[in-house]
Amino acid sequence: MLIAVTVVLIIMLLGSIGTVFAFSWAATHQQFENLESAAESIFDADEPIGTPTDPSITRNS
Amino acid sequence: MSSENALKPDAAAIEESRLQRLEIDRAARWPVGIFLGSSLFWLLLGSALAIAASIKLHDPEFLAENAWLTFGRVRPAHLNIVVYGWLSTAGIGIGLWILSRLCRAPIRDHRSLTLAAVLWNMGNAVGTWGILRGDSTAVEWLEYPTYAAPFLLVCFAFVTLEAVGLIRRRPPGHIYISQWYIMAAFFWFPALYFTAHGLLILAPVQAPAQPPINWWFAHNVLGLWFTPIGLGAVYYLIPKIIGRPIHSYYLSIIGFWSLAFFYAWNGMHHLIGGPFPAWLITASVVASIMMFIPVITVAINHHFTMVGHFKKTIYSPTLRFVVFGAMCYTLASFQGSSMAIRSLNGITHFTHYTIAHAHLGVYGFATMVFFGSIYYIMPRLLEREWPSRFLIRIHFWSCALGFIGYWSFLSWGGVLQGIELNQKDTPFLEIVALTMPYLKLRTISGSLMTLGHVAFAISFCWMIIRHRASDGEPTLFTKRVPDPAPIHE
Amino acid sequence: MNKFRFIFIGFMLTFMSSWVGLVLLPIWGLGNFEQVPDPETGEMIPPVFSSLEREGHRVYIANGCIYCHSQQVHPARVRSDIERGWGERRTVPRDYMNQETVQMGTMRTGPDLSNIGVRNPSETWHLLHLYNPQITSKGSNMPPFKFLFETRKKDPEKPAANALNFPKGFGPGKDFEVTPSHEMLALVAYLQSLKLSSYEIPEAPAARVDSLAK
Repeated sequence: MLIAVTVVLIIMLLGSIGTVFAFSWAATHQQFENLESAAESIFDADEPIGTPTDPSITRNS
Repeated sequence: MSSENALKPDAAAIEESRLQRLEIDRAARWPVGIFLGSSLFWLLLGSALAIAASIKLHDPEFLAENAWLTFGRVRPAHLNIVVYGWLSTAGIGIGLWILSRLCRAPIRDHRSLTLAAVLWNMGNAVGTWGILRGDSTAVEWLEYPTYAAPFLLVCFAFVTLEAVGLIRRRPPGHIYISQWYIMAAFFWFPALYFTAHGLLILAPVQAPAQPPINWWFAHNVLGLWFTPIGLGAVYYLIPKIIGRPIHSYYLSIIGFWSLAFFYAWNGMHHLIGGPFPAWLITASVVASIMMFIPVITVAINHHFTMVGHFKKTIYSPTLRFVVFGAMCYTLASFQGSSMAIRSLNGITHFTHYTIAHAHLGVYGFATMVFFGSIYYIMPRLLEREWPSRFLIRIHFWSCALGFIGYWSFLSWGGVLQGIELNQKDTPFLEIVALTMPYLKLRTISGSLMTLGHVAFAISFCWMIIRHRASDGEPTLFTKRVPDPAPIHE
Repeated sequence: MNKFRFIFIGFMLTFMSSWVGLVLLPIWGLGNFEQVPDPETGEMIPPVFSSLEREGHRVYIANGCIYCHSQQVHPARVRSDIERGWGERRTVPRDYMNQETVQMGTMRTGPDLSNIGVRNPSETWHLLHLYNPQITSKGSNMPPFKFLFETRKKDPEKPAANALNFPKGFGPGKDFEVTPSHEMLALVAYLQSLKLSSYEIPEAPAARVDSLAK
């Protein structure tokens, strides 16, 4: 199974290199710049930040 | 902060976004509604089979006269129904709805998706019938015979196509983390199912190679299908409900990629000690420990987002279920990583402890998060409220307490079982005897959980049947009611 | 991140890596076994199943025996399997090569069955146990498999030759006889053929097995 271990190690090595590459690509292409607006993208004018959208359902029982 | 602008939007922008949201929810009504409604049917059937299987383990003569109801068929029928009939069906509905909301695009292909839901249900029905009549494949988590697979395949093709359509129609700008998780899940699941079905059932590889593929598949149904849909839901619902963005978006990206890579390699931890090369097992043990990275990032993120807002779980059913589920995710993952350590595995492997752990993931985490998601989604699809707070309370408390009982009793019984299994002088039948009280407690706990499911199903059907709007009273989510006043932090 | 295609490529690459490691490599390394000659007898091992035993394997599968019984012997340093008499050595991948759908299992609500054909070779024992486990194993939580037997009124002139002999308190009564169905006979044949770790195999020579068991 030495060949299998070698294949796994190669996958890990390629994966690590790929990850480093992906991170440096992301950093140079401003992927980490607007993270706050990414987190805020689920809100909109009608359901803005600060407005809970699941008010009490106690009214009818 | 850009949210300064969000605090004072103009009236036109508010109206526009409200109408867009209404359009999206209305377009989702039928397809998502059918998936969610169907999932509840399977949840009830799966719960009934679960109780039957549980009783059989301490009362083996129970319903044992007929081949169709023998334990060895009821147990896999239960598993496949809750995995493919309850969780997967609800997961499809929840995933599509969140995707539609985040892509700001209404679901378009109603006819195909309705057909897809029908096919999915038929696949489950045919598969269940197949298991009970004796055609089970006995490949764990893949017991539906081959003739059920085409139904599932065609349905999923339609679902993934619609998902891709939604992503392509999204507005320019960021893709939110929930969309990453859900899209990944919609590609990962069919890839898993059809690879595994092909290599293990249709054209099986030689026997010694089957278990690795089997457990690559089964573990990834949890890690690459239910977990991403569940996390996608939690990442959307917690911030949306409390009205506050996620604590650290940066952490959520790290969480996604570390999950995508490490989770996929976990599967072999089900085979520790078995006839397999050491490198294969070790790779999975390492990956199982590395899971601490995504799990801790998710836990930090959810906790710090919730900090200061835990009181909202008092009034919001969704939040209550989702937070319970998210906490179980962390617990289940820590427990799972610990079980991959060979010395602990020496005690827990082959025991009821493993079953309790599995339920912490599929029930404590996935099921509870899906319950919470359905509580959020349905009023928005139907433009009605849930009819009874009492039923919701029964649902939550029966399931939460029932499940805590289930997990605690079965885990403890499993540990005792495991310790004695390793004592060569303990006769096997004595080990069976010592597990009996815990198996009975499991039946009681499971029955309590089922009571919660029945309450939920009653709520769901009542909500659909009643016509709230017709008695003139305003419901919570239509135009006639002004939006609730924002709660100031 | 606004380009879906990069996210897609990323998550499909991570997925494919696991496929290479946990699917492709196992198929390549564990999917091409051949029989080897037994050093003592010269027979090819592991033995191929007879057609009755294959049928029995399918009955085992159809009735879900795997959900309580495992078929894998673990090394002595990990578990007490060998000490319990469940095998003479750990099972190795080649031991399973002739099964259609391997039934290694993940639960031991019931004992491991890798060498049940050596531990319990008696057909009578299996028939009684499967008819009603309480007959041979009081307190067991294994279900009865009466539906794999045929029960009929006994014809005093022509009693069935292979009718079961029940001990006192069990069985349908003296006016009835119970015979195993063909499926049940196949299942018992399969169980009797399970001797997974009872022959020497190059990967697990006896000398090492002895020292591990100590």
